[in-house]
Amino acid sequence: MTEDLIDLDGGQTRMEAAYGSDDGDEDLFAITAKRDASVGEIFEQNYRPWDGDFGPRWVRNYAIFRHHVFGLFSSKGHRNYNPFIRLTILVIFIGAISPIAMLFFSSLFGTGPDGFIDKMWGVNRSNLWGQVLGYFPRNLCYWPLLTALVVGGMISDDRRNGTSAIYFSRPVTRVDYTMMKYLSVAVVLGFVIVFSYMSYYTLAIVFKGEGWGFLIDTLPMFLAGLLCSILLVITYTSIGLALSSISQSRFFSAIAFLSIIYGTKLVALLIDLQFETSILYILSPYDCLAHFGQWMLGLELNYSHSLSLSVVSLILMNLVSILVLISRVSSLEVTRE
Amino acid sequence: MSKQDEQGRGLSNTVWTQLDRKAGAITELTIRQLRNRISTWVVLGVGVLLISLLLIFYIDSIRDEFEPYDNDGDSEDWDNDGYPLGQENIYGTSDYNEFSFPGSSEYIYQGDIDWNDQPRTHYGNHTWSYAWGYFTPVWIDVNSTNPFIWNYYNSWIDWSLGDYSCEDEGLPDNPFYIGQNDDYGYNSIDRNYCQFENGTYIMFGAAFRGEGEFFVQPGWETEWGYFTESFFVEPHPKSMYIDEDDIDWNGNSVSGSQGFDDDGDCLKEDYLVESSPDDSNRNGIVCDVQWTYDPYGNLISIRADSNVDEDPDDSKHVGESSHRTFIIGTGKIAFVMILGLFLPLFLALGLVRDESENGTLHYLLSKPIHRGEFILYRLLGYLAIVVSYTVILTFIIAFITSIIGPGESIIRLSDYPVWIGISLSTILVLTAYGSVFNTVGLILPRYGVYLCILFGVWEFLMGLFTITIPSSDITMLSISHWAIQIIDATVMIAWSDTALMQQQANAFGLETGISFFWHPPVHTLGTGNPFIALIISVVFILVFSIGMILIGQLIFRNKEIM
Amino acid sequence: MSNSVKVPSVLVENVSKWYGQVIGVNDVSLAIEGGVTGILGPNGAGKSTLFKLLMGRIKPSQGSVKLFGIDPWQDTSPYRRIGYVSESERLYDWMTGQDFVSTLARLHGMTRNEAESRAEHVLEFVGLYDVRHKEIGKYSKGMRQRVKIAHALVHDPDLIILDEPLHGCDPIARTSIMNVIKELGNQGKTVLVSSHILEEIERITEQIVILHNGRLLALGNIYAIRDLLDKHPHRIMITTEEPRKLANAFIGEEPIYGVRFPEEGKLEIQTNDLSAAHSVLPRVIVESEVKVSRIDNPDDNLESLLEYLIGG
Repeated sequence: MTEDLIDLDGGQTRMEAAYGSDDGDEDLFAITAKRDASVGEIFEQNYRPWDGDFGPRWVRNYAIFRHHVFGLFSSKGHRNYNPFIRLTILVIFIGAISPIAMLFFSSLFGTGPDGFIDKMWGVNRSNLWGQVLGYFPRNLCYWPLLTALVVGGMISDDRRNGTSAIYFSRPVTRVDYTMMKYLSVAVVLGFVIVFSYMSYYTLAIVFKGEGWGFLIDTLPMFLAGLLCSILLVITYTSIGLALSSISQSRFFSAIAFLSIIYGTKLVALLIDLQFETSILYILSPYDCLAHFGQWMLGLELNYSHSLSLSVVSLILMNLVSILVLISRVSSLEVTRE
Repeated sequence: MSKQDEQGRGLSNTVWTQLDRKAGAITELTIRQLRNRISTWVVLGVGVLLISLLLIFYIDSIRDEFEPYDNDGDSEDWDNDGYPLGQENIYGTSDYNEFSFPGSSEYIYQGDIDWNDQPRTHYGNHTWSYAWGYFTPVWIDVNSTNPFIWNYYNSWIDWSLGDYSCEDEGLPDNPFYIGQNDDYGYNSIDRNYCQFENGTYIMFGAAFRGEGEFFVQPGWETEWGYFTESFFVEPHPKSMYIDEDDIDWNGNSVSGSQGFDDDGDCLKEDYLVESSPDDSNRNGIVCDVQWTYDPYGNLISIRADSNVDEDPDDSKHVGESSHRTFIIGTGKIAFVMILGLFLPLFLALGLVRDESENGTLHYLLSKPIHRGEFILYRLLGYLAIVVSYTVILTFIIAFITSIIGPGESIIRLSDYPVWIGISLSTILVLTAYGSVFNTVGLILPRYGVYLCILFGVWEFLMGLFTITIPSSDITMLSISHWAIQIIDATVMIAWSDTALMQQQANAFGLETGISFFWHPPVHTLGTGNPFIALIISVVFILVFSIGMILIGQLIFRNKEIM
Repeated sequence: MSNSVKVPSVLVENVSKWYGQVIGVNDVSLAIEGGVTGILGPNGAGKSTLFKLLMGRIKPSQGSVKLFGIDPWQDTSPYRRIGYVSESERLYDWMTGQDFVSTLARLHGMTRNEAESRAEHVLEFVGLYDVRHKEIGKYSKGMRQRVKIAHALVHDPDLIILDEPLHGCDPIARTSIMNVIKELGNQGKTVLVSSHILEEIERITEQIVILHNGRLLALGNIYAIRDLLDKHPHRIMITTEEPRKLANAFIGEEPIYGVRFPEEGKLEIQTNDLSAAHSVLPRVIVESEVKVSRIDNPDDNLESLLEYLIGG
């Protein structure tokens, strides 16, 4: 076998296909050594170790992250989000920041009789709570829908199409993979939920021309709400990704997420209304968050069971979800399932 | 031997029997397919779990029985004098004053000097109160204890504090001086009285007992009276005033005025009730309850005078209506909104869509079966599973609750029509949503599912609104609205006195939740007849489902399958 | 069917099918009746599109498709007499072979018992009798192809359409499937088999249809087509150290009309009678005393055959 029989170019492409730092969406071809074989020939399989340098780990991880998040804006080279999903997310985002418009108008008209406008759209405990944890419309349709749509195919598509192999055939560990998927979802959710909350607070101060004193007074409130919103994002992301990881169908995970959020809430509401016990609310992720949020922001508690139950339940939900996620990702096949 | 065609098949194989067989085969295939999916079992299992959870709470609440509830709060003893409010009401004493209780000594008013009365002096041995003026004592009961809690303008003098000289406070002994220069000269001193060196007291809103001459400066006032002898009254137990004023209703719909003030708190004359006896429903009869009926004999409203029939026997009224509330709430929320919405989302969405995605549709469609039929049979297979599931689940919960539910009979047969209504409503909802999801999955195989999720959220929202405000118009654009109407209508048919219960609960403050979970059906074409609402709702959902199936068939028939 | 006018099983008249801008089948006309017919063509030639048109899955953009004289897009009745094996790889993995075949048999209106016995019979025919109670998920590729064929045969159809039935099978499975198809042909049924490998079809049938880029290229007996092709120019590639010397020896031989030197150490000779050229080849090489390391016949496969047909 002579040297020229080995297709050097092809080999290099193959290595790039396997270990390139890009996302693998480009059309890379792995050309194997090829000759006219009509007489019959057996090729020697010479692989040469590739001794180039890997990019640093964070660069690779950033590529994964970018792939998922930028896909929301442009699917060129990024994860493809259905235009319908993009539209829905946009609508939800506009809905989430719409109080800012009201804030603007209220700042034009002053406080109104009895400070009515101020009560409705000013910075106060219940408004900050409502901006994140209000039930209608945020937690009744915005956030669950948003999470369901974003999380739907996040891991289940990889399971279905075997695209997890694209990651695991490269120097990407399962931890990196999971973390980046998690981060991507959390950032998308956070962009809508946390960002809208933060802009509400910031713009309220700007529009109303409040001073340093007001800022210092309301900052603890704001931080408590911020913590709640981050907790909300984390909880929804954990549950959603866990569901996404146990199924092969993006629709199953989306519907399952919605049914968990709505189902538990509704059952607990039914029991609460009929038997006057709020204990079942600990099953509902939303109500655990709302309970904790009410305590954090110093509002009157709507629930008669103890706060610690809600907090423990919240921790358990996250823990179980993350455990499920980890165990499912670690069993993710390198090949197509 | 039957006749045979050229291919040797019996002519008894008519088109219809062959259709049956095809329908049977596809239905069976669908059932087996669903049965082989884990998610089906998970979803059905969660449904069973949900119903068991409800049952557990129900059984738990039945076991505790219904705690009698003191609606009017007259079993409380606010002033801690040992007598509950109800008893104090009867004796006309105050429950906000620990010295005023049945048998306590009572201040009886005898006379006064008003701000402009003449003469302005009075001599006597009295208990003086609201005393403003100059008192020249013969005798003062310095040992008497405070029989009342007085207000700021009239407080019992604590003689044990000792002398308090008016001169030291700079008050002149000329009464008119204070009146002319400083109406409220007493503001400058620490007590509500002081004594001049000549022995005369000046009183500023004081109360005390003593004999002497009282001079009231013009513009000021004073009154006097005496205390009655106290005697002992056995305190009633608090439980006597829970459920003491039951609903007095003889079911006579001709006479609208019912009710009797059993505990007498409506009729009593007392400073706590502004205008008593009470006729706040303004029917000209004091202390009664006005029951208003429409010409068909349906109850329209109950308007009670305050404190009449206000504390009914909870175990009698609440037990039954709580049971009904449970059934209605379970039917509306657990069956229609949770099972009805999520079963189709999980099971019906992929009936045809998954087949065409997987490519297994080719096997089925290469058989001599019309595509329209195919959709119908697929839906039949799905319905076979969910309908039997719903029916079994309803029957189980109906059986258990009808046995342990309140009432004399061993089994509450009157529950069953309602459960059948709930079952019917759920089945219709399952059919409607199943056909919608199936059709949407066919029209838009890629985006359809998101549409279905949005549709589900919409239905969920509208369902919640329908439960709370059934008459809102926008909710008519949802399936869940009509399904909930079916339950409302069957409840009205099976338990015609539910409207009464709801009115009673509203009028007499019974905490049963029935006012939240049940409303009379809205779409009765103005007749108030629940059968009409039932028929309209069923027809609406059926027409919708059939329309959706037809659209699905039309789409599927003209769809090119890759 | 005992009509006085004989209707061909498959009648395709001037059919075209576009998928948006892409053309799937371009003005194809065919009439097929009896025996096994191989539909040949490279990937994307329109074989599956043609079959989907025949099965009424898609609607022709132009022209008409008739099975036993009935348009399958409008009416599903011809399916009573048709068995179709799609190219789809997915099956109901949770079903046993017996279940799968009998369930589909019941869609022909058979009773349950009838379907069961027909299924057993047909599974025996394709050689899956022993494993008929095993789940399809546990079947090998060849078995899966055969169970697909079995479902298409269960109602004893007159016309059988097989889309790539040999795809992905090992040689043993291939042989057994080929035997099944040949047997069907011998039973007098009309069988359409598609493949992109000429050799496979050659082993089954002599009657072929060649499709390329959606167009009908050739139709008829495979040997007749071969002969027609022989009149087309052919190339023979010879690898040698002295191509020019060898070329000199070839020039003047009767069947060879041209030589080319495509690259260093290679000689291409051109002929329009391949068999004659091959007969003179050894002699010329021996006489020229040139050392030849190999002789290639680049045109001797379907691809180049098609290349000639379309490129001329």
